[in-house]
Amino acid sequence: MKMTESNQNSCCSDGTDTVQNILNVLDIRILINEPLCTGCGLCAEICPFGLPKPSDNGKYEIKNPELCTECSACQRNCPTHAIIMKEHVGCGCLWDSRQRVKSKGNSCNCS
Amino acid sequence: MAVAYMRKLEEEPETYDSKFSSLTKGVNVNVHDWVLDQIQSDQSILEIGSGTGSLASKMVSKGNIVVAIDNNIQMINYAKQKYSDNLENGALLYRLGSFTDLPVEDRSLDLIVSTFLLSEIRPLEQQIFLRNVWKALKPKGRLILAAEFVPSGFWKVSFKIRRWWFKKKLHRLRLKSTFLVKWFFNYIEPIGFKIGNQKKWKHGSIQAIELLKINNNGEDEPDYYRPKTKKFKGLVSQLRIYRCLFTGQIDRVPIEPGIYKSGNPGSNSPIIVTANYEYTYIKLMRDLQCIDAWVLCLDSNGINVWCAARGDDFGNKQLLEAIEATDVRVVSEKKTLILPQLSAGGVAIPQLPEKFPFKVKYGPVWSKDLNQFLSERPVRKPDSMKLAKFTLLHRIRAGITHTTFLFRKIFLIPIIAILLSFIALNNVAIIWWLGELVLWIVLSNVIISIFFPLSKFTRKFIAKAVFFGCFSIFFIGAISWIFHSSYLYLLLNFAIYFWITFFSTMSFSGYTMSTSPKEIQAEYPFFRKINLTLIILVVILLGINIIFFMLNIIN
Repeated sequence: MKMTESNQNSCCSDGTDTVQNILNVLDIRILINEPLCTGCGLCAEICPFGLPKPSDNGKYEIKNPELCTECSACQRNCPTHAIIMKEHVGCGCLWDSRQRVKSKGNSCNCS
Repeated sequence: MAVAYMRKLEEEPETYDSKFSSLTKGVNVNVHDWVLDQIQSDQSILEIGSGTGSLASKMVSKGNIVVAIDNNIQMINYAKQKYSDNLENGALLYRLGSFTDLPVEDRSLDLIVSTFLLSEIRPLEQQIFLRNVWKALKPKGRLILAAEFVPSGFWKVSFKIRRWWFKKKLHRLRLKSTFLVKWFFNYIEPIGFKIGNQKKWKHGSIQAIELLKINNNGEDEPDYYRPKTKKFKGLVSQLRIYRCLFTGQIDRVPIEPGIYKSGNPGSNSPIIVTANYEYTYIKLMRDLQCIDAWVLCLDSNGINVWCAARGDDFGNKQLLEAIEATDVRVVSEKKTLILPQLSAGGVAIPQLPEKFPFKVKYGPVWSKDLNQFLSERPVRKPDSMKLAKFTLLHRIRAGITHTTFLFRKIFLIPIIAILLSFIALNNVAIIWWLGELVLWIVLSNVIISIFFPLSKFTRKFIAKAVFFGCFSIFFIGAISWIFHSSYLYLLLNFAIYFWITFFSTMSFSGYTMSTSPKEIQAEYPFFRKINLTLIILVVILLGINIIFFMLNIIN
């Protein structure tokens, strides 16, 4: 699965490539860049699955990153851009996926 | 209708005019002639959405000074090239621009013309359009509009059918359709215009209207439009709830975007932002229990908050547009907007412009907690307010919506086909089999929605689907045994039970909220293979079933 992912990314050369590479290497979906985190807790207020949890040093960390659906809510609202993840467009619906898988075959839609 | 197809034609400016004429059966030429008839000479005119520039050049020929703007650079370049003669004497200017930011001074124009633009812009944008036009016009200025509207009576039906046809065509070309101009006539008078001359073509599906600027408030500012209060209690709204519940995954049910009132809000009442899906609106208003609050419904295209946020229908764009089009800045002294927590997947607070006049705060996930949230204003929300739990009640509602989706979009044609073949074969027993099939589909969804938490052991939906498929072989098999008491019957049908439940579980993935789009997209190709294999198996078994029915071996 990882092979195909890196292939898909080869056609879009934006900054998110590095992010994806980091996440691939760590084999993780999402993590908080600790030095940037100010501990404001907005991510914990937003995440519908309660994944960001306060850690001992007053900052936040993602517990159970495997439960993340990559909805990007925390990332797009984090005031210091401390959250490292790659947003995945689309919803979890099978029929939405069908459309996206289909259109991916036709062209690179990573504008 | 036909105008929905404009999007395709706009890709090629060279052929746009001739193809658009054939689309509208020449009415667009009549529209231009009518517009020209309304115009005298020596006027300063702005055309918004000038396209290939033909109307602008004709208006110049009548002795006017024209600025023509379009937001499509190809169109502008094409127009500049084609009408280069006219450009020299300074009476005509083509520019890239849009109605959101008109390149003219306030109160500087006699006339603004815009043909076939309205169906390209969304309801709140139409209000911004009218307000900006009002500001740019001189005190007795006029706006001449032509657009596609929904005709009334019988013609509405044929209009809708043709529009549906064009939308299908556009969908195949992967282009978005234009919008239906639904509520435009409501905006005219509140914002500050009066209808003058009016002309209809093709039973009112294409209309040209002259709007005269009037000054409602004497303040030299256009007014705001606010939609009429919508009832959220009583039988009718309950029926609307059911309508949304039964068509959820397929139909968008929009209400007019704009500001609504809960209770009797004043300048000190909180502002709550939500989607313009009718179900969302009714639920929210009921949960607020008439406490005083302003409710701002963004134009999420008639989609619920969560799906809209994930699909670019509830984001910064919609928020900014609603702030500009409505008087939300002045109704309350409160400078905080309370957004639904689930809209965070679409809204990005750090990306909002610096001069954004509000602070944005994310409220609870469910509207039922909104009253408690408003009274306590917790700095940290309790878990019950912020976790998206997929409770039994949610699962039952999701199950109902999903079942109706399956019948409408997946099983309708097969069921009709089987029914027809059974009638042709003239065998009543097989009709019973069809009845059972319908029952199995419903039962599958009952199983999935009630027992969904049992499949927590895996995040892979295919594994969940196989789990529930096996579950239903036993469950539906047991019920089937009560009906038939025949091993042969079970043997012939167990794969069908499995497939129905397997397929339903996969299709249910969108309702759980905790499904990751990445995971489900990765699973899709594999699902497709399994699904195709199962369908072939089911069709073969169906054939054997029919033969056995015909031979009266089973009944």
